This record gives sequence, C-alpha cells and structure tokens, in this order.
Amino acid sequence: MPQLRKDPIIGRWVIIATERGKRPHDFVIANDAPLETHCPFCEGNEKETPPEIYAIRRENTAANTPGWDLRVVPNMMPLMQLEGEMGRRGQGMFDLMNAIGAHELIIETNKHVANITELDVDQIACVFDTYIMRIKDLEKDTRIKYALIFKNYGVVAGASPIRHSRSQLIALPVNPKRVKEELVGCKRYYEYKERCLFCDMIRHEINAKVRIIAHSDGFIAFMPYASRFPFEIWVLPQEHSCDFHSLNNSKGLARVMKTVMGKLSVGLNDPPYNYLIHTAPFRRKTSVGYWKTIDYDYHWHIEITPRLTKVAGFELGSGFYINPTPPEDAAKFLNEIKEL
Amino acid sequence: MQQLRRDPIIGRWIIVRYDDIKMPQDYYVAAVPKKQVGRKCPFCKGNEDITPPEIYVDRAPGSDANKPGWNLRVIANKFPALRIEGDLERQGIDIYDQMNGVGAHEVIIETPEHVKDIPDLSLGDVSKIILAYKQRCIDLKKDKRFEYILIFKNHGLSAGASLEHSHSQLIALPIVPKKIKEALRGAKKYYGFKERCVYCDIMHQELQEKDRLVTQNKKFIAFSPFFSCTPYETWIMPKAHNSHFSDIQEDDIDDLAAILIDTLGRLKKVLTDPPFNFIINTAPIQNDQELEFYHWHIQILPKLTQSAGFEWGTGFYINPSPPEQAAKFLRDSR
Repeated sequence: MPQLRKDPIIGRWVIIATERGKRPHDFVIANDAPLETHCPFCEGNEKETPPEIYAIRRENTAANTPGWDLRVVPNMMPLMQLEGEMGRRGQGMFDLMNAIGAHELIIETNKHVANITELDVDQIACVFDTYIMRIKDLEKDTRIKYALIFKNYGVVAGASPIRHSRSQLIALPVNPKRVKEELVGCKRYYEYKERCLFCDMIRHEINAKVRIIAHSDGFIAFMPYASRFPFEIWVLPQEHSCDFHSLNNSKGLARVMKTVMGKLSVGLNDPPYNYLIHTAPFRRKTSVGYWKTIDYDYHWHIEITPRLTKVAGFELGSGFYINPTPPEDAAKFLNEIKEL
Repeated sequence: MQQLRRDPIIGRWIIVRYDDIKMPQDYYVAAVPKKQVGRKCPFCKGNEDITPPEIYVDRAPGSDANKPGWNLRVIANKFPALRIEGDLERQGIDIYDQMNGVGAHEVIIETPEHVKDIPDLSLGDVSKIILAYKQRCIDLKKDKRFEYILIFKNHGLSAGASLEHSHSQLIALPIVPKKIKEALRGAKKYYGFKERCVYCDIMHQELQEKDRLVTQNKKFIAFSPFFSCTPYETWIMPKAHNSHFSDIQEDDIDDLAAILIDTLGRLKKVLTDPPFNFIINTAPIQNDQELEFYHWHIQILPKLTQSAGFEWGTGFYINPSPPEQAAKFLRDSR
C-alpha cells in the first residue's frame, strides 16, 4: 500500500509509493557530455570574471591574479544588484519592487574539478568559512533580509556546462516563501511544545535509525520522513542553532558533507544535485518582536536534493509530490556502500 | 533592472529577469515525432484489451464496452500512485503523521487518434473531455474518504508524460494539496480585508490593463499572470465567480473548450509544441457550498527551463520571460 506522509514542519503531504519503489539503478544518469576546453574559473583566468570580492590567497599575491585557493566574485549575470532604490510600489492590486540585493559566486577551488567531493576536508571547510564571512558582511546592509546559499551541480540541476566546483549566494530583500513556511511551522510547534521541532526530529531519527546516513562531529545527516524526492538528504547540527553563520565547527561539517556527498556520488553514479542552506533570516534591532522565539524554535540545516526524476508541473503546481523511493530504502542502499 | 513581483494570493515573490530576456525561439526544443503508434500504444483504438476496463466512456451507439467505437475513455491508471481499496488508518508515529495511500488514480484518454493533441481536436471533442472531468468529479465526490480531486495533464516527455498519446489524469486525494490550501488561506485573508474575491480582482485588472491578456470569449479569460513563476505560464478563468470546477454548467463547457483549444494552440505555435502541464485548481470537494473567496481556474505551465533546485527549495522562482512580453507573443500569434 502506498503511504501518505506529512512533513511535520510545513504540513505538506507526500505520497511514498512503496509498491512501485524505484531502485537506485532505475535512475539512469548519462554523464557523457564532452569536457569543456576552457574554464573562466580556473587559476590564470582571473581576468574573465568580475573583480574578486574576497579570496583566500597565498602571501604576496595581488588580487585578481593567480595564487589563490578560493575566490568570491560577483555573478556575471546577477539576478540582484546592490545599487539602486528598493522602489517598492503597487500596480493596481499587485505589488512589486526592484531586485536589490547581491548575487555572488564562490569558486571553491583553483583546480578544474567538478564535484565538491573531490576537494579535501580542509578545502571544504574553507568553503563553509567563506559562506559565513560573506553572510556576515552582507548582514550589515539593512536592506537585505535573507542570504541564500546554494549549489547547482550538473546541467540537469541548473548548472552551466562548465564543470568547475562552485556555489552561489543570493542576498534578498524578502524572505523566500519556503523558509517563511518553515519559520511559521517551527514557531507554531514551539508555542505548543516549547521544544524545537528539528531537535525533536533529530531525536526521533537517532532512535529510529532507519533514515540516518551519517552521524559524527556534532552533525547528523538523514533522509526526511516525508522526502519529496528520492534520496533527499538533510544535514543538521546536532546542537540547536538557528543561524548557519554562527557555526564554529566548519571542519566537522566538511567531514560529514564529504561523507554524505561521497555516498551519493558513488551510489548513484555521480548524479546531478542541488544543495541549499536553510537558515534564519537576518534579525536587527528594528525588528524586535518579530520572530521573538526564533533563536529557540528554528534550526538551520542543509537540504540536498539529487535530481533523479522528472518533476511534473502538477507537482510544482499543486505542491503535492510523489516519491517513488521510500527514504528508508534509499538510506539502506547508501549505507551499504563501504568504499568511498 | 530585474523586478521582484508578489503573488497576491499566496504572498510569494518571484524574480522577473530583464537583463537576459528569453525569446520564444530560445525555448525551442526539437519536436519529437510521435512514434508509439499501433500495438505499442495502450491508448490507441483497438488496444482496449491491454488497459484496465473503462470507468466512463463516450462511445458510438451500439458499440460494446472495452471495444473500438469510442471517442473518449476513462480508465484506472495501470500504475496508480494511490489505491482505491482500504481505510485511511491515519496514525501518528512519534512526531510524524501517516495514513494509507487511499485514493483514485484515473486516466482520461482524450481521443482514439494517436497523433492528435487538444488543439487538433474539434470543439465537440474537447467539450467531451471537460464533460468527462465534470462527471468523474461528481461521481468521486460521493466517496467521503476523499477531500480533493486533482485534474492535470502532462504533455511531452520532459513534462512527465510517459505515454505520448494525448491524455490527462485525475487523482482523488484524502487530503488537500498544499498549494491549494495556501491559495484558500490567502484568498480568504484577502476577502476578509477587501470583501472581494482576489481572483475576480486579478481578472478585472487584466481585462482593464490588457497587456497580459492572451485571449477571451464570452465566459472565459486567458492571461499571463503578473506573478508568473515560469515563462509563459497562462491561466484560464471563468469570468463569473465560481469556486468549484465541477459546478460548470453545460452551456459554459463549450466556451471553456473553445478557449482551451485556442490557448493551447497559441502556445503550440509560439513555442513550437512545448512540453507543458496544466492543472485545474478548484475548491476542495467535501464542502459543496459555493465559496465567495475562491475562484477555480486552469493553470498552464509550459516546461521550458530547467528549474534549479534552489527554486524548489526556497519557493523563489526566476522567470526570464516577462509576462507582458509572453502575453504579447501569444496574443499576436493568430
């Protein structure tokens, strides 16, 4: 019998199709695109990107020249820009505003490697530290409400065909809808239980054991009970914290992420994926009273979604997802991988 | 500069890109000629024996059930996402909620002709499709286990259609899908404030401003919403306020069929037969009362871009085709 499962955070029901469960080898992924011959993100090609905002460089090297390990540059085709007025206005019954914000690219390595799993733990930790630094810097701009950090890997997941490991940061003057829903759901749960919903989920998953992918260094990775997509994985700090940028153990997170992403890569033959950091919006003195309990009720996490199935428009339109692989089966499969 | 626009119903902001506007030809994909014809296609006439038996049919007088001679058939989905038998057995598992996947999953085979799509069908044939939707809704809403009837169509491989023969699907659910719940909540809030239906207000503004209008007839309007989350998103809405699709009157069915043929025909022409999905958004079924704050409509979502995972993860969409421009292309295409 297929199951309907409810996401306890935002209340979305998902069909888990237990009977026609798809095995990992049902997801055929073709990785046969020819390798690109030129990459603007490689060392030596600094002139091809906009000037760097931040870089981790070796001593005595000048900005925008070789000698770096990681660079942050403005996106070449930015969705948001820092210059200009917000211009929030109405048009009849509609509301609009200018896209004021920032759109940055984090070039994670000077080498031409595609997947973050190919970087060593220290380098991955540098990537997370860089996210934190950029978030803290953008927080100073009071027009910005939210910093969204994500990675698109593989053309199917929305990345350009250039296979150089990188992630993106979009700073927004509004809160993204899904994050807002999570905040509302967590607040409501907290009002009722006086506990963090994510902390409760972590406790449940540790007891249940069947959906955990990794658990070490103060972090836990599991497949959510009401996963929308096959092999969807969430990574959370075990200790309660609502702001990603308050993280002080980037190396631990790097280790867990490398394990989790490595398992996905080996188990599903290097699938396209996205990851996305869900963190609390910026809170400033001017917004006292707004999300009063957010420090206690919300828990930052990383959502990893491999792109294995075609999501039909009806799923996007209705918000109703059919997941052909029960998360317990997916977790079991990934946990049987021994060689990374 | 890019624009942020807000969906007045659910409060979602979307980005409209102006620096890299995509023209229709940027979305062209090589059309794949239909090829499963003959014995390979279970939806073709003559292959009735390889599908589950028909639940509803429009057939020529004197022809036998599950034999050729039909214009439209409704059958159970051979690979249903939900099962019709059983009880919901709703239960909690610690912090989680679960119930059995009880529901109906049906397929509406829209035509016996393999090569035809909705824009190729006659007004009468498309009216029969809409009538079939209505009749199935009326029948299924008698089952008190169901809360919502989701009618949708996937056209083209990348929009999730596994068979190329023109068909749509119906799923009767024991729950109300999330987006519908959100829309109901948002529309109710708007009504509480304005004492007007938000959808009626949108429609009036579109009829007045005209730059997002695609086409209209006596009873229906088709337009590109101000807050389109995907390029060439198009809505078809009845001009008269009505919350339940299944309440559609016989004499309105022809007008809906006409605007559906017209709108899908325009999309097909402008975007060279794009993959698309449409969904009928309507009020939940167990409350038959007309809701003054909700308005049923058909949402057509062409599948033209590779939506990045962050769009799903955040509910924050980027639309590289401003709706005003999309509407103009669609308007000018006839």
